[in-house]
Amino acid sequence: MLAFYRWLLYLYPSLYRREFADEMLLVFRDAHADASAAGFAERICFRVRETCGLLAGAVREHLHITRVSGPVISFTRFDMRPEFRFPRSTVFLMSLIFGGVILAMEKANTIMVKYAGGEGSIWPSLPWFLGFTVLFTFAGALAVRGILFALGRTGGQRLANIQTGPHRTE
Amino acid sequence: METLPLTEPVLLMLLSLAERPRHGYSILKDVERISGGRVKLSTGTLYGALRRLLDDDWIERVEEDESPRDRRPYRLTPRGRRNLQLEVERMRHLTKLATLRVARKEA
Repeated sequence: MLAFYRWLLYLYPSLYRREFADEMLLVFRDAHADASAAGFAERICFRVRETCGLLAGAVREHLHITRVSGPVISFTRFDMRPEFRFPRSTVFLMSLIFGGVILAMEKANTIMVKYAGGEGSIWPSLPWFLGFTVLFTFAGALAVRGILFALGRTGGQRLANIQTGPHRTE
Repeated sequence: METLPLTEPVLLMLLSLAERPRHGYSILKDVERISGGRVKLSTGTLYGALRRLLDDDWIERVEEDESPRDRRPYRLTPRGRRNLQLEVERMRHLTKLATLRVARKEA
């Protein structure tokens, strides 16, 4: 149970873990010893209570960090550091290139249908293609974001971990 | 951020610390004792509340040379004690009001 508890502590943000994990582990060890001396029902209640408490606590702490460090995902150009800020024209150029690629694919599709004897298209229609592309990109971004969040490696979390002033406990 | 009125676990934790500085396990056991075994805090709940109370400057860590890092006790700050008094006052007023209303209804 102690190993499981220690593993669950990794669900907390790293800053919180650094500050409280040792204490929490020690308190849990003492409480676990008490519960072990009690009856079966009390032991089960203790385990359920601790697991639920830790999971809820981890979610709460992540939400707290998100609230402190701003929105989870920021797409705006002005949130970037000046040296990494891409030029405004990039958005226009990328949209233009994307549109060009889509049109070229549509044209190729038309030509293929025309010269292949009308056997049907191997490409889906344009709205479907655009829909899938957007959905796939969004799902991919969400998955990457989720992995980074679980590892505590998002920019927001790393910034939140930076101590900018004297620590209150020192 | 802790705001008044306080939740029962937080109120019990503050009452526990009002008596004397305590470390985590001592708070856990004292809360269980003063609530008559009704409120049993998990360590996740306990330390979540402690973190919020530390952030809001309602409690502070007692820095003692002899206490190990993972056994450092917590104590109420003047601000925490003042807020606890406000909460107790609010509850006293509520209890008084409730007693009057219930008595009037019975009469």
